[in-house]
Amino acid sequence: MKRRSFLLGAAGLATASVSGLAGCGGSSSGSGGSAGGDVTLQMVESLTNPARSQVLKKLLADFEAANPGIKVQLVSPPTEQADQKIQQMLQAGNGVDVLEVRDLTVGPFANNGWLYDMTDDVQKWAGFSDLTAQAQKYAKHSDGKIYFVPYGFYGLSLFYRKDLVTEAGFSGPPKTWDELLEQAAKIQDPSRNRYGYAFRGGKNGNGNVVAAIEAYVGDSIDRENAFKIKSGQSIFAAPEAQAAVDTYFDLFKRASPPSSVAWGYPEMVEGFNNGSTAFLLQDPEVIATVSASKSITTDQWTTAPLLTGPSGKAAQPVATAGWGVAKASKNAAAAVKLVEFLSGDASTTFAKENSLVPIKKTAGKDAFYTTGPWASYVTMTENPDTYLTVVQPRGVSWWTEWSTKSDTQVQQVLIGKLSTTDLLKSWDAYWTEKWKG
Amino acid sequence: MAVLDRAPRGSRPLVRGSHAPPSGSRRRPFTVRRGLGLLAFLTPALVFVLVFTYYPLLRGSQMAFRQWNLFDLRNTPWVGLANFRTLLANPTFYAVLEHSAVWVVGSIVPQLLIGFGLALLLRRRFRFRGVYQALVFFPWAVSGFLIGILFRWMFNGEFGVVNDLLMRAGLIETNVAWLADPRLAMFSVVVANVWYGVTFFAIMILAALQSVPDELLEAGALDGAGKVRTLFFIVIPFIRTTLLLTVLLRIIWVFNFPEIIYGMTGGGPAEQTHIVTSWMITYTQQGDYGLASALGLIVVGVLVLFTSFYLLALRERDAR
Repeated sequence: MKRRSFLLGAAGLATASVSGLAGCGGSSSGSGGSAGGDVTLQMVESLTNPARSQVLKKLLADFEAANPGIKVQLVSPPTEQADQKIQQMLQAGNGVDVLEVRDLTVGPFANNGWLYDMTDDVQKWAGFSDLTAQAQKYAKHSDGKIYFVPYGFYGLSLFYRKDLVTEAGFSGPPKTWDELLEQAAKIQDPSRNRYGYAFRGGKNGNGNVVAAIEAYVGDSIDRENAFKIKSGQSIFAAPEAQAAVDTYFDLFKRASPPSSVAWGYPEMVEGFNNGSTAFLLQDPEVIATVSASKSITTDQWTTAPLLTGPSGKAAQPVATAGWGVAKASKNAAAAVKLVEFLSGDASTTFAKENSLVPIKKTAGKDAFYTTGPWASYVTMTENPDTYLTVVQPRGVSWWTEWSTKSDTQVQQVLIGKLSTTDLLKSWDAYWTEKWKG
Repeated sequence: MAVLDRAPRGSRPLVRGSHAPPSGSRRRPFTVRRGLGLLAFLTPALVFVLVFTYYPLLRGSQMAFRQWNLFDLRNTPWVGLANFRTLLANPTFYAVLEHSAVWVVGSIVPQLLIGFGLALLLRRRFRFRGVYQALVFFPWAVSGFLIGILFRWMFNGEFGVVNDLLMRAGLIETNVAWLADPRLAMFSVVVANVWYGVTFFAIMILAALQSVPDELLEAGALDGAGKVRTLFFIVIPFIRTTLLLTVLLRIIWVFNFPEIIYGMTGGGPAEQTHIVTSWMITYTQQGDYGLASALGLIVVGVLVLFTSFYLLALRERDAR
């Protein structure tokens, strides 16, 4: 009997941890405050990586040198847990003054009343007019207030192998999704461990499917809500959507590694980096990674602008993140000062070091951005009628739910458990219902 | 560990009745003062368990009955059993339970058999036994999530070492997309978990084996028992309690062990390798702590039920 009680107790304690995992709310570290007249700001980053944190620390040291009396303490949680950690700190109402706000988190954070409204401060700041139109636009939330200033932009471009494209008999990189399918299928040769396209079937695989659909509905897309066409329907219900998804999934069938059903970001980048795949649709931070590749040399690859659809247009689903201030901060004035500093000249250093599209107007003329793999971004910027900048509804509270659901369904299509028609029906029904509230 | 030096608690006595307390042993009378004294000693441990185990458990439990989305904390009404109904109406819930059963059985049976074999080998004295033991026990020191990521690359269809080795051995002619096919993906995560969990069984069983008295083995040898008979009729019955306890604990742990799956497949392809706890992580990532907590409570219920049946079955067997 004693043994049984002990075992039951052990089982109970072990299983209690399961609910504890879900139930652990958050406490938080102490808040930044004043010490001896000095202000200490607590700054928390989200998309942490060691190299980036070093760049940030150098910029913060410059800020401290220029602003005696203000110290900044940088907190760098691991990326996977960072947003949850930030949420816990914001919920607790202390421990954070300046934070990294992403387009994915600004909606929920603002909705919960956790972010300081910087609108008045930013309007008084002369540096705001030096930012690109895109940066100014994305700084404004849907309610017209400014909760963060972007530090840079992520945007898709097509990484491609110049040598393999030439070898396959093509004069240049593909410009459309159809051309991509044609070139990738011709390059594909599994017997030589060579594949056409680094397909994203795993986490966030839905993003490229949506990019293809948006290109196909380029003529009718609602640029302020890129999941809608101008008639108010979802893009998934548009007549062009079927051809888009069929072409896109043909890329998997005819031109991609079979195991790419499970490929996420690391596998895609590795596939291009080690020379086994010819095309990769990715954000600019990959430029730095591929530049350091030991398998392919810099003259073997470059980037091309985003692929267009039959409309002759491509929709660039811009993703961004930036710096914001916690509403509960007791040092809001100093925190805003730091945000303004990081959004000035420091932003160009930060963008260059982290392979981001910069926010300063002057940075676009920098040789760093006008040559090599970055040139395609300049091309896209110079042709705004072809490469439409669109806003995806990434700030809605159900975005993560959508991402999980749509990723699962993309894999269902890839393993033959769902048709592309049913995929589109399901996505259309999901968004239509959500918009109805 | 004390278990190294003597028979584990609850082991069958060598001589029937040898566990009986000496007759006429004196017990100190229970007084209020003595009770308060005992309580004072117990309090730190009780407070620790209450604060770090039962408080989060209760917090999690109350979320299960509310709409609790981290992205909308201004709106957290009580919703009764709605979260449970949502889960039970979702076909994925039943698929995930089935995957959990495959994951637990598929992992624990090979872990037990291989772990037992390793423990038997490591029990013998030979040169560098300590080094071998350290090598065998090493995986237990590595994080499950890291192991998931390592095996994800090992099982990668194009760049993975598994395909490379199989091809060099002439066992396959073309690459196998291990993590792209639902059945192969489940097989792959189970292989990773077997590799990881063998160590625990080896440690526990080795400790139990070392508690088997040499006299008992010598007596068996004198009676003419061969190695197989010694194993099945002397050693295993002697360590039976440790074995059963270890299996029970492992079942609970493996059921609650999403790290390898999370790192290796993320529950894919198309949720075909999700177990209950890895599926729960997706809800926490979505900020839906209401559903995640409801799922957590269901897991507690399932495991308590299972443990009760397991122990009842053992008691029945003992009674027979």
